[in-house]
Amino acid sequence: MDFFSSLKISSSGLSAQRLKMNLISSNLANVNTTRTPQGGPYQRKEVVLKAEPVKSEFYDALQSRLKGRISEVEVADINEDSRPPVVKFDPNHPDADEKGYVSFPNINVIEEMVDMMTASRSYEANVTAITTAKNMAAKALEIGR
Amino acid sequence: MNNIEIQNGTGPLLGPVKAPQPAGSSEGGSFGDMFKNAINSVNRQQRVADQAIEDLATGRNADIHRTMIEMEKADVSFQLVMQVRNKLITAYEEIMRIQV
Repeated sequence: MDFFSSLKISSSGLSAQRLKMNLISSNLANVNTTRTPQGGPYQRKEVVLKAEPVKSEFYDALQSRLKGRISEVEVADINEDSRPPVVKFDPNHPDADEKGYVSFPNINVIEEMVDMMTASRSYEANVTAITTAKNMAAKALEIGR
Repeated sequence: MNNIEIQNGTGPLLGPVKAPQPAGSSEGGSFGDMFKNAINSVNRQQRVADQAIEDLATGRNADIHRTMIEMEKADVSFQLVMQVRNKLITAYEEIMRIQV
């Protein structure tokens, strides 16, 4: 495996975790949102990740030996959580229905915080992988010294 | 530089490089050409890194990590070519030290 491929894989991981972080930010920001362009309360969103075989410059040459073993990550889809909304009684709210109930998004802030920690740690892990790959290349260059 | 030819012993290490040519011929296969190609590709990598920095600064690409990775690639490529250069200079100096 060449050095650049490992950087490419880690880079895909960083992109995926950044997108996950964006979705968590969106979920946290919209924790009390009752209006959306589609109508109804905000729906919690989460990322669906997919493994994608690495396409490097040497992909064709490597494929015979490393068939499907090395994959980078790709965002396959952004899934909307189908949990039912939390219904609260608040007749003064402009979005209340005729009985006075308001639908709020079913977002658990604690769950989002845990997801955020996971995203952050995964990001760090990918950065560490990049640093290690770089250090390995630097060590290999030291052979000549 | 073109006169320094790859000897038979190092051939297998370099794979795609053509078989050693008779001394003096400048077309393909000479170490000088290989080194020139290496420098060109490092230069290309540096330009890609420059472009990545520009894209980040102008907001065309908001991914910090992409830019950093391009910069690291350019750095490692440059370090590699520097090591090759150092070896080349060492070999040259070694030859110049031969007593006539």
